[in-house]
Amino acid sequence: MNGGAAVRSVKSNAAAIAAGVLFAVLLQFVLRGVMGPFVSKVMLDIGINIILALSLNIVNGFTGQFSIGHAGFMAVGGYAAAAITYYGSLLLWGSAAIHGDIMGPGDMLFLGACGAGGCAAALAGLVVGLPSLRLRGDYLAIVTLGFGEIIRVLIQQTGDVLLTADEVRSASPGTVLTSLGGSLGFPGIPFYTNLFWVWIWVAVTLAAVWRLKYSGLGRAFLSIREDELAAEAMGVPTTRVKVTAFVISAFFAGIAGALFAHLVGTTLNPGELGFQKSFDIIIMVVLGGMGSISGSIIAAIVLTILPEALRAVADYRMIAYAVFLIALMIWRPSGLFGVRELWELGPFRRRGEAKPS
Amino acid sequence: MSTLLETEGLGLSFGGLKAVSDFSLRIPEGGLHGLIGPNGAGKTTVFNLLTGVYKPGSGTIRLGGKLLNGLKPHQIARAGVMRTFQNIRLFGELSVLDNVKVARGQHARAGFIHSMLRLPRFHQEEREMEEECLNLLRVFDLEKRAHEPARNLPYGDQRRLEIARALAAKPRLLLLDEPAAGMNPSEKQDLSDLIRRIRLEFHLTVLLIEHDMKLVMGVCEHITVLDHGCVIAGGDPRAVQDDPRVIEAYLGAPIEEGQGAAP
Repeated sequence: MNGGAAVRSVKSNAAAIAAGVLFAVLLQFVLRGVMGPFVSKVMLDIGINIILALSLNIVNGFTGQFSIGHAGFMAVGGYAAAAITYYGSLLLWGSAAIHGDIMGPGDMLFLGACGAGGCAAALAGLVVGLPSLRLRGDYLAIVTLGFGEIIRVLIQQTGDVLLTADEVRSASPGTVLTSLGGSLGFPGIPFYTNLFWVWIWVAVTLAAVWRLKYSGLGRAFLSIREDELAAEAMGVPTTRVKVTAFVISAFFAGIAGALFAHLVGTTLNPGELGFQKSFDIIIMVVLGGMGSISGSIIAAIVLTILPEALRAVADYRMIAYAVFLIALMIWRPSGLFGVRELWELGPFRRRGEAKPS
Repeated sequence: MSTLLETEGLGLSFGGLKAVSDFSLRIPEGGLHGLIGPNGAGKTTVFNLLTGVYKPGSGTIRLGGKLLNGLKPHQIARAGVMRTFQNIRLFGELSVLDNVKVARGQHARAGFIHSMLRLPRFHQEEREMEEECLNLLRVFDLEKRAHEPARNLPYGDQRRLEIARALAAKPRLLLLDEPAAGMNPSEKQDLSDLIRRIRLEFHLTVLLIEHDMKLVMGVCEHITVLDHGCVIAGGDPRAVQDDPRVIEAYLGAPIEEGQGAAP
């Protein structure tokens, strides 16, 4: 009996790791040549948006708490990671340029920075979540909106980026931490983000969110969404579970922010990570279906490609979104897939199946 | 027999309105008690006090000698007090099985790391939990619909699922809030059989709120009558049935006092 469980455990982990690494390697080293730079760039955006939608789905979809400050966590993670790679590179190698080859020291610094960015965002999630998750519905939405704006404004107040290793050495840690470029953005961040790293993190996020949904904690999330009072009466410590959801969600938003910060051709600036960005992510979650993992992924893909395909009419994007959302509210108020996964619907439906791990 | 639940002078006011005052109750281990009273008498308020939804304004609640005052609802649930709701409160979109698993989950030992890394303990525990929960559903004749969303069940099944969900947590005390509401006579008969059966099978102590007198009188060993938040009578079913104060509370005072009409 114990042996069977051990085998299942090894199998499911090996399968998840193998699939994730294989897909990321394939994209980076084989398909990138075939796809060309434009499609590659779109694939990067898709990956980052999938991470954002999946992570927001933990709070808004699974747990049913309406948070609209997701870009704030993204900003915390992005700036934390950018500061680490930029100032780290300056101190270690004297220049902020990309250092080393694939899997070289530069890449490792970047990987560490992603993790640190995630942790910084998770910490922010804890700080925001603890007091605010006693609030419900609209009130929570307002607090999270406020949080996102506070982060944006705080970053706008930071000073110019330090340019040389000597400057960094002579400055106090406090000065370094508040030299993030202000409202003009953070220039000079090395472009470490590539298809490999983005899709590895997509795989990690997907595995984490999936395993979360089909575990005791995931059931606790869903029970709170369905009926908080009943969940509490059934022994679910609702406040703690909600804060946990918030922290996990913020962690992956931070990772997405770190990947976003190190993209080629973008300048990390606070204006990009404001309310508008939070709303883009919410639309993905709502469109895909609150609580549906496959729905979030599909919505993230569609809503990343659509604006690219319709570049000519890009200015009308928000109008189209609004019309689309109103239509959705009327005809499918629970999102395209509702709370179900793609394969649980219609012709794909199998009855009485065991949940996959 | 030792006392399982004991409340002393329990009271709660909403502003100037005394919802419950000086409510004292003692239920022995394994007992099956009824709590009755006219609409608005404060029965559900008593349940909400016992389960920590409301904080008592005065008095104490003890379960097996342990003080429950001031604990949060989930802590009281974990101490062994589970309940059903007057208006069904299932997790509608979750499957029947998952509804039961949520309540069973308070006994889970596999933590966050176990689940995220899918360590052997996670798989083993999930399988044990699934088995136990399916067995439980079988007792309630619900295992065939285990994978359907709970909201798709017919009304009577939803009422029984609420009881099954409460039992999944292995409670010591089960509080049933009008479990027979909306049921037809044959369903009510089945329900009273079920209550008797689970009480023996799961070694439960039960406190039951019910309007259906036939069911209450048939099932309960002891009945407490509540009116305007005060206990007005208590005893075995026959004594309570004949108590003039109970008749007055339900049907109004005799005519000569001039206040017979219900407000």
